[in-house]
Amino acid sequence: MTNLLSSELLKLRSTRTNLGLLLATLALTLLVALVHGYSTSKSSLAQVDEQRTLFGAGQVSTLFAALVGVLAITSEYRHGTIRPTLLFEPRRTRLVLGKLAAALAFGALFALAAEALAFVAGAVVLATRGLGFALDSGDVLVVAGGTVAAALFWAGIGLGLGTLVRSQVGSIIGLFAWLFVVESLVFGLWPRVGRYAPGPASQALSGGTGADLLRPGAGALVLAAWVAALVAAGAALFARRDIP
Amino acid sequence: MTSEPVVVAEGLSKRFGSLRAVDDLSFRLDAGTITAFLGPNGAGKTTTLRMLLGLARPTSGRALVLGRRYAELAEPALRVGAVLEATDFHPGRKGRDHLRGLAYAVGLPARRADEVLELVDLSRAAGRRVKTYSLGMRQRLGLAAALLGDPELLILDEPANGLDPEGVRWLLDFLRGFAARGNTVFVSSHVLAEVAQTVDRVLIIDRGRMVVESSLAELTARISGGVRVRSPQAEQLAARLAAPGVEVDRDGATLIVRGAPAERIGETAAAAGVVLHELSPAAGSLEDVFLELTGGSGPR
Repeated sequence: MTNLLSSELLKLRSTRTNLGLLLATLALTLLVALVHGYSTSKSSLAQVDEQRTLFGAGQVSTLFAALVGVLAITSEYRHGTIRPTLLFEPRRTRLVLGKLAAALAFGALFALAAEALAFVAGAVVLATRGLGFALDSGDVLVVAGGTVAAALFWAGIGLGLGTLVRSQVGSIIGLFAWLFVVESLVFGLWPRVGRYAPGPASQALSGGTGADLLRPGAGALVLAAWVAALVAAGAALFARRDIP
Repeated sequence: MTSEPVVVAEGLSKRFGSLRAVDDLSFRLDAGTITAFLGPNGAGKTTTLRMLLGLARPTSGRALVLGRRYAELAEPALRVGAVLEATDFHPGRKGRDHLRGLAYAVGLPARRADEVLELVDLSRAAGRRVKTYSLGMRQRLGLAAALLGDPELLILDEPANGLDPEGVRWLLDFLRGFAARGNTVFVSSHVLAEVAQTVDRVLIIDRGRMVVESSLAELTARISGGVRVRSPQAEQLAARLAAPGVEVDRDGATLIVRGAPAERIGETAAAAGVVLHELSPAAGSLEDVFLELTGGSGPR
């Protein structure tokens, strides 16, 4: 499995795609931190809640972690490398697990880099506005740990989705349609059902405070269940399907 | 080297809906041989190779390599090298990284990638992204990937596509050398002439079914267009050659002789003191008969 993981990690870092996604993550993190930091009133930004949002700007990494997961498998189909890949590792379930591990590693890397930047940017914002740091170590753990955990789950969701759908464009459109249309509708209309969808569960995990959201721990469990279900379904189909 | 067949297909069939892409195909390949897998585009060659390599599941029948189904071999990439498409690369990945990614998966060190790049004469392009490669370079990169595990069996699908004549010659020389070391090659092509001088055996399929399975010598004999002879004493030679089973057509100084080998024609001429200006196999034969055997069905 170590061999397979080093193979998959090399694949993820040997094209410019994931570097581009990482740079986009960092740019958006910075943008969110600065906009939030300088548009929020000084009195609000002195409060714990607003500072959690400020230092949680790295949360944008979760969406990019999902893309890393989607691309880890769908780019193999798109460019035909799935054929040589399977000739070298014909045990398909193993291959999916190797890709999952590599996608999780990259998801964690994205989240850590984004949170590190968010904390630097947040500190600069607070200093320039003459405000003090209001978070205790527990808050820091919830903010940074929540982002890393969410990115791990979303990388897994992306990989499971990509394995199921195979098409790169189809997976990405599906992901966005689900996140920004289906889930919002369901959560808006039937919040007691919709809160079990990955997006709201992810908000709950990161300490979101909406009345209908689950508790953070429950959110983590729900996300883990989504990852397990999608990866298992994807791997089961992958094992049965012919490779074009 | 074992006496067991290296590749076995038994009643191998693949249907896509009502289309019988591969229809009850059976054959065996022996170690140390080069076998050409011929047929027009769409004949079912690639589908057959995909089933041999575990990428597609047979509808019925079995496909075994080295005695087992591909996916059941322990580390198959260390025993079987294969290339299915010349385009199976991420365009933004460097050639060397493509090979390393595959090498790592089977525990081979990074330097193995450089060794096979050297073998296919791509060392200088190793650090370039594949999108800058010509089709011929991509073919060689694919071959390099197949060679990573130092395999004893090579399965190549249309490896000569996109190669210039020099590249084709290089490839065929390479395959000959590979087989001469006791290894086995199974190479598909839709152009017989491309591989005719290199292979030991030919399997010709059309519409998923076996049309011809023979040694190249048998095939050549079977489809021989006769011997072409030019002589200023053509009429005299024609009379001397006349015998049961020998057919001679004369057109001025040129004879086309069927039913007698070139050796006998030469000996007869020498015995009669007849001067020869030419003694050669009549041309056009292989490709014509290939088309005839495959029913001239053309691409589907």
